[in-house]
Amino acid sequence: MPTTVLTAKTSYKKIPGSLELNDTHLQWSQDGKGPSVRIAHSEVAGLFSSKEGAAQVRLKVALVGDDTGHTFAFTSPKASNEREKFKAELTVIMSRNRAASVAAARAPVTPAATPPVTKPVVAAPRPPLLSQTPSGSRAVSVSASEQRNVTIIPGNDPATDVRLRKTILMSDPELGALHRELVAMSGQLTEAEFWEGREHLLLSLAASENQAKGKPGQMVDPRPETVDGDTKYVMTPQMIHGIFDEYPVVAKAHRENVPSKLSESEFWTRYFKSKLYHQHRASIRSTAAQHVVQDDPILDKYLEKIDDDLEPRRQRNEHVELFVDLGATLEDHVETGNEKDVTMIAGRQRGALPLIRKFNEHSERLLNSALGEISAPKRQKLNDEDYGQIDLDDLHDSESSSGIVLEMQDRQRYFEGGISNSAPEAAQKPLDVKTLIRHAKVNIDNWQTNLTQLKIEKQAGDTALLSMTKNVAARLDVKSRKNDLPDALFRQMTICQTATNEFLRQFWSSMYPPAAEVQVVAVATPAQRAAKAAKMIGYLSKTQEKVDALVYMGPQHNVDPTRIEIAMKPVLNAARRAIEFHQTKTTNTKPGPPPRG
Amino acid sequence: MKFSIDDLPIVFPYDRIYPEQYAYMCDLKRALDATGHCVLEMPSGTGKTVSLLSLIVSYQQFYPTRRKLIYCSRTVPEIEKALAELKRLMAYRVECAETEEAKAKERSFMGLGLTSRKNLCIHPEVSKEKKGKVVDARCRDLTNSATCEKGRADPGSVDLCDWHETLGQMEPGSLVPPGIWTLADVLQYGRDHGTCPYFTVRRMMPFVDVIIYSFHYLLDPKVAEQVSKELSKDAIVVFDEAHNIDNVCIESLSIDLTRPMLDAAGRSIVKLGDKVDEIKTTNSTKLLDEYAKLVNGLRDPSEDDPEDTFMSNPLLPDDLLNEAVPGNIRKAEHFVAFLKRFVEYLKTRMRVLHVVAETPLSFLQHLKDITYIERRPLRFCAERLQSLIRTLELNRLDEYSALQKVASFATLVSTYEKGFLLILEPFETDNASVPNPVFHFTYSFRFLSYCIPSLKVDNSCLDPSLAIQPVFERFSSVVITSGTISPLDMYPKMLQFTPVVQETYPMTLTRNAFLPLVITRGSDQVAISSRFEVRNDPAVVRNFGSILVEYSKIVPDGIVAFFPSYLYMESIVAAWNDMGILNEVWKNKLIFVETPDANETSIALENYRRACDNGRGAVLLSVARGKVSEGIDFDHNYGRAVIMFGVPYQYTESRILKARLEYLRDAYRIRESEFLGFDAMRNAAQCVGRVLRGKTDWGLMVFADKRFARADKRAKLPRWINQYITETASNLSTDMALTLSKLFMRGISQNPEENQTGVSLWTLDDVLKAQAKQKALALEAKEAEEEDEYGNGDITDQMLIDLDI
Repeated sequence: MPTTVLTAKTSYKKIPGSLELNDTHLQWSQDGKGPSVRIAHSEVAGLFSSKEGAAQVRLKVALVGDDTGHTFAFTSPKASNEREKFKAELTVIMSRNRAASVAAARAPVTPAATPPVTKPVVAAPRPPLLSQTPSGSRAVSVSASEQRNVTIIPGNDPATDVRLRKTILMSDPELGALHRELVAMSGQLTEAEFWEGREHLLLSLAASENQAKGKPGQMVDPRPETVDGDTKYVMTPQMIHGIFDEYPVVAKAHRENVPSKLSESEFWTRYFKSKLYHQHRASIRSTAAQHVVQDDPILDKYLEKIDDDLEPRRQRNEHVELFVDLGATLEDHVETGNEKDVTMIAGRQRGALPLIRKFNEHSERLLNSALGEISAPKRQKLNDEDYGQIDLDDLHDSESSSGIVLEMQDRQRYFEGGISNSAPEAAQKPLDVKTLIRHAKVNIDNWQTNLTQLKIEKQAGDTALLSMTKNVAARLDVKSRKNDLPDALFRQMTICQTATNEFLRQFWSSMYPPAAEVQVVAVATPAQRAAKAAKMIGYLSKTQEKVDALVYMGPQHNVDPTRIEIAMKPVLNAARRAIEFHQTKTTNTKPGPPPRG
Repeated sequence: MKFSIDDLPIVFPYDRIYPEQYAYMCDLKRALDATGHCVLEMPSGTGKTVSLLSLIVSYQQFYPTRRKLIYCSRTVPEIEKALAELKRLMAYRVECAETEEAKAKERSFMGLGLTSRKNLCIHPEVSKEKKGKVVDARCRDLTNSATCEKGRADPGSVDLCDWHETLGQMEPGSLVPPGIWTLADVLQYGRDHGTCPYFTVRRMMPFVDVIIYSFHYLLDPKVAEQVSKELSKDAIVVFDEAHNIDNVCIESLSIDLTRPMLDAAGRSIVKLGDKVDEIKTTNSTKLLDEYAKLVNGLRDPSEDDPEDTFMSNPLLPDDLLNEAVPGNIRKAEHFVAFLKRFVEYLKTRMRVLHVVAETPLSFLQHLKDITYIERRPLRFCAERLQSLIRTLELNRLDEYSALQKVASFATLVSTYEKGFLLILEPFETDNASVPNPVFHFTYSFRFLSYCIPSLKVDNSCLDPSLAIQPVFERFSSVVITSGTISPLDMYPKMLQFTPVVQETYPMTLTRNAFLPLVITRGSDQVAISSRFEVRNDPAVVRNFGSILVEYSKIVPDGIVAFFPSYLYMESIVAAWNDMGILNEVWKNKLIFVETPDANETSIALENYRRACDNGRGAVLLSVARGKVSEGIDFDHNYGRAVIMFGVPYQYTESRILKARLEYLRDAYRIRESEFLGFDAMRNAAQCVGRVLRGKTDWGLMVFADKRFARADKRAKLPRWINQYITETASNLSTDMALTLSKLFMRGISQNPEENQTGVSLWTLDDVLKAQAKQKALALEAKEAEEEDEYGNGDITDQMLIDLDI
């Protein structure tokens, strides 16, 4: 008997049923019947899913050799949640299939919409299937506030790490292509090597995923939909959670009644008909709806007094900061004067009061869920920084702030040297004004004749103009011819170049390990680094061959081989430099610490 | 920064100064030198308080007379801010003082803030009471002189307040070390040393250089009697944020009586009667002593302890107080019967089901006809009640508050006539069917006239034109200042005084730090207005809503929206919710709304600020003239946009307002519409002005009502706002306004490249330069004058004529 890993209510070809994943097969069965669709794990080749937030939550499973596959629509209220679970599991299965077929030389042509199928060969033992965290749908991140504290360090939790990498590769197609080229297909680099130096991508993604998404601001206000004269309330788990949060009394009623006296759906049906609900509705018109409300022996017990007195039912005794304390003003002196006119008496519109209170409480709850409650001692006394509120900061002298002092060696010499260099005599000798004027006079004496005699060499101007024209023409030429490399060749050239770049990156980073800012991965030992460098040099030394091959291919595509040569030259140069550097390094008997710039 | 104006050395606690601050200080000094009053309008957020304090403290410290500063503000948060500002200023002065001696002088400078017992109590039980009235009563029970005497003679016999007792053992005048004490500081000091903060402040008042409290403590005669009567005449009085000062004055002399209040008063009278009977049998000498005292006159200054007074006469002239209390209320039982009769009369009056408006004179006449109560004993009512309560040593005075109110009413109604009106409103609104009668005793304008109790009023002449001796006459320098007191001449007119300096300052800006916009119609071109006829029109409501939604999308951090009234806000919030408009707002920002409960609103405000600090952003819906609009700042990220939904007119159907307008028209020729427009615009300006603090701050000011487009409305805005409303920005639809706003925000968010120094910010050099220029100008003017004289003096016309002959 295969063990069931996951089940969910889905419809397949518009027939309701349930989808089930066990440890050998993915199968779907119509309600009350045996499985009609059965897919062995090994057949799963691709997954497609409808967009987050789309009207229907769908999952398409593509099979090996059958791209049409099967499409399942998730129908339960927790649809997207369930879909994520399935996706997570199936991805693992799929990647396992993929890993098995990696030996095949040709990469599968991946359709654009497919999630990345590249799967690294991870040495660490794969954790059991269910331990994978489904990607954060909102419901999860809301309820799992404890998740906030778990810092996922890439490399520590393989499952999460894999997911993060996948997401990154998916969102950056170029990086994905490179990864496919080097890691998945040719295996020239290991997974770990590929990600070395790219930890920041993982970290930032992990950070952004771990950032707790606050609660949405909207209040839960289930509004009825009228379908063929029937009023219908659609409840989602989030809404139920929200209602419990908002009205603890409903949570209490639910807790006390649901499994024992009422079923889940019965409870909600009664709730929406009850006075309790109409009391809770965030609407002032609820009073008008009073007559449709039925008495409910169970739920009416939970009715509370409506909170529409001038003073709130729930008295709050905490002292607020004196700068916003309105009560203090109210009690500052005995009330005097005539009473306010009708429009200025607060709370005359009694129906609105519970609503207003609910707004304030809801906002406060949202804030507290994100920031925590205000601690009592902080409220009690004004701190010194609170008096900053009365400060006018632009009246402070900005210049008086102590800047960063430039620490300079041998400061004196620097300044003295500067003086001695700048023509000291000229600066020191006082100028004789009279002689200056005389000189000036002499200089401009014959200016008219001088001007007529002025003759500019024609040739210089011509050459300048000519060179400019040439330059423009050359640029135009380049521009017009830019894209005339055939696509296939161009792609190959790009691949060659990016691959070489990657090798270079690996090489140089092993020669000069980055500063320990990114302290994620354990720093490799010098021996490991040397080995890696040697390996990279091995790859790099093949660059020449690759480029030669490309140049050789040129005539086949009607491309001037020299152009390819020129295009690839910088890459070759860089590779050559690396190789030379490596040679000088290795010929030195002792590697020693790498020189730092 | 140190500089001097004329010969007065000023210490200003910043490195730079705004030009308007400098001008403000110069004008203020001129007013102080001339010992006259002044009205100064300075744009909000340009550091009014600090300039004011900086100049006055410099003035006090420089001249040997050391005139005391009485600084009045509207709200407790503002009081606390002013105290904090003063504290910083003094710290800076100490730092700047050159010699040890000067430093010591600065250190000995004292400043305190006063507020109610409720806000300053640290007694573990009493302070837990919610109502200020109850705190007052319980505090008095524990601290009044009779109780203290008893408690000290026989420890344990009565409850005493330990904090008050500790204070009593200390030497008066050094209850706290010298320095500036904010309210929070005083509370902390009290907790640390086991002393009562409230009485610390009260008893230190004669010794301090600066006292900061709210308007009421000086303007409300009932309070002023207790706390402010010892203040000397040469004190400098400052009313900061004084744009609503007229309302405070009116309020302090107006009173409402309701049916439940009369019932409660009736019950108190019965209790009082019982107590009198009881005392008569047990300790009749006490009553006899009191009687003897009353024959001699109400007040015996030697034993009158101001801290014991729980309620005082709203206002009686001094010589009246020295007069004997009329015979028919001297005896306790007679007075009780007298009160009973008066309350019964009021109850009968309230049975009427139509509105009555009458003058105090006709009320008194009717009262006399029916009950034979004369005017004279009525005037002593409040004082007599106080004396009786003290004699009977009653506890828990808060239970007698209704009776006290009736007594105050009696005294007020029999003391004043001109400018006062009695209105009896049997129904709250025109269409209400259940009577809820209210007796309004309302005062209409000549306020400030009777404000300070100890001034002399000729008791035979109650004609205000003779009797007005305003607060302006008691104190030699009264400064009235605010960010929005336009039009300036309205205030002297209403306040009946002649200022020596009257000035408004423009805002110097190197770039427009705020953008006022007038939205007159929605994107669908439907005109928007809070006019009563259209305000609930769905199109208008929706257009108002879409303004909020759109602005919540584009404005960072905090948005504050003001509505013209609570009623409108509450109904529109409900309507928006049902229309799904608020759901759109929730997507972008959190929503907080002002509620009837002050503490609840404070917590909402605190959360609003947290949301703004956090970057989540929030919208605060509140009411112009409401609790939040007074005294809470929305500077920097706390308010990047203020939206004024509608023009905050007063409710014109209110009978009190109608009476007041009528009085204004008859007495001062101020047209109703003019006053209403002025009042609405000053409140609108007050609301939008709260977004700015300092010149690097920025904010949008959105006026959403088609009536704001009218030139006569805009002309009533303060000049510093009005000058930035361009012609295009004065008549916009929502989408146009949004485009302008986006453009503005894109520009303002850039780091200002040009240096503001020299233009909108002055360094010391700039100040000196300006002074030199001023001096040169003055010199020139003087020379020109002299030349004139010289020219005329040489050959006069007469000489020419003579020559002709």
